[in-house]
Amino acid sequence: MTCSDVQRVLPELLDGAPDGAFQTDFDTHVKSCPACSELVSDLKLISSEARQLAATEEPAPRVWVRIAAELRAEGLIREPQSAPTRPILIPTSPRRRWSAWWLVPVAAALLAAGSYVVSHKPAPQVAKQQAPATSVTSAVPETPAVTSPSVPTSAPQQLAQKSAQPTDIVGPAVGPAVEPAPSAEDQQFLSVVSTRAPSMRATYENQLQAVNADIRETQAYVDRNPGDADARQHLMDAYQQKALLYQIALDRIQ
Amino acid sequence: MVSNPAQAEDLAQEAFLQLFRKISTFRGESAFSTWLHRMTVNVVLMQLRKKGLPVVSLEETLDADDEAPRKEFGTKDVRLTGSIDRLQLQRAIDRLPPGYRTVFVLHDIEGFEHNEIAEIVGCSIGNSKSQLHKARLKLRDYLKFMRAEKAKTG
Repeated sequence: MTCSDVQRVLPELLDGAPDGAFQTDFDTHVKSCPACSELVSDLKLISSEARQLAATEEPAPRVWVRIAAELRAEGLIREPQSAPTRPILIPTSPRRRWSAWWLVPVAAALLAAGSYVVSHKPAPQVAKQQAPATSVTSAVPETPAVTSPSVPTSAPQQLAQKSAQPTDIVGPAVGPAVEPAPSAEDQQFLSVVSTRAPSMRATYENQLQAVNADIRETQAYVDRNPGDADARQHLMDAYQQKALLYQIALDRIQ
Repeated sequence: MVSNPAQAEDLAQEAFLQLFRKISTFRGESAFSTWLHRMTVNVVLMQLRKKGLPVVSLEETLDADDEAPRKEFGTKDVRLTGSIDRLQLQRAIDRLPPGYRTVFVLHDIEGFEHNEIAEIVGCSIGNSKSQLHKARLKLRDYLKFMRAEKAKTG
């Protein structure tokens, strides 16, 4: 085995993947060649020393504090009434009686719109604000709650369009652009929250602003890069987060 | 994956929040740590995309940087025997191209196997091994250069 051969097989053999004949020749050459011996020794030293860096990669305590605060704000954890020091997870119950029944198909429509965006690569004209009804409603039949007679048929289209439009909630600017006015669905949602749990309106309004901003920014990116599957998945995640926000609100305000 | 500590904290926060939101979607088809790392990588990549920063795939990094590490002048006689200064090693890692750095951190620091790294970053096992090897070779050159510079300045 030559020095060039050692360089070629080193990626396979260095991390302890012995390979019969190669390994024997490799070991023999390394023992007899000072340059290759030094190379192997150096690379093993770098690898072993790097492991020591793992312990220094912990996030600062303030990161955990911010995470806990965000989770409380989203309603994913709460402080128990009798034990204030130990937060507990809020289980999401799929079977509840809704008095704000219209929020159920709205949440489902959000997911359907997100699924459509992820599964279909939009042509540039489709990605603009006026998405054709047929291309949106083609995904709707797979979600029975959305196609029921009691659901406004334009809801998924409106949600898909409005979530894609930079015309949503007016509030603190997330980026350099002015925050758009809230959609009709978001306004209705906040109106219900204000009526049933007024102390929580600010929290949910802030959460909606954040998730709507995320949807807008990601949609804008997807419009420019329709072939980016990761971005489309992120957009789906953002829609799911909005649907989850609606669902959590329903859980809490009943 | 980012060189800014404050940005790294923000992204770590977002990754953990995503974990809480999406924990019910974990189907056990891969190790939990692999799934979590994949989610984290996606959070970072999405943030970079939103900021308009270039995101180069691991495959592109391999093709664009597929050359032997440049040998620094005056390092021929410098040896790395003994221990390596941790700060120098961290600085050398920070200098690595993003693709090399990602694989090196995942394998040599975090302890992931190549099949897990391939799943996390979306490359082949062969590319993962190749990237790791080249990362180590580059680090060797960086560290020898740093040691030579230090010897010159006393």
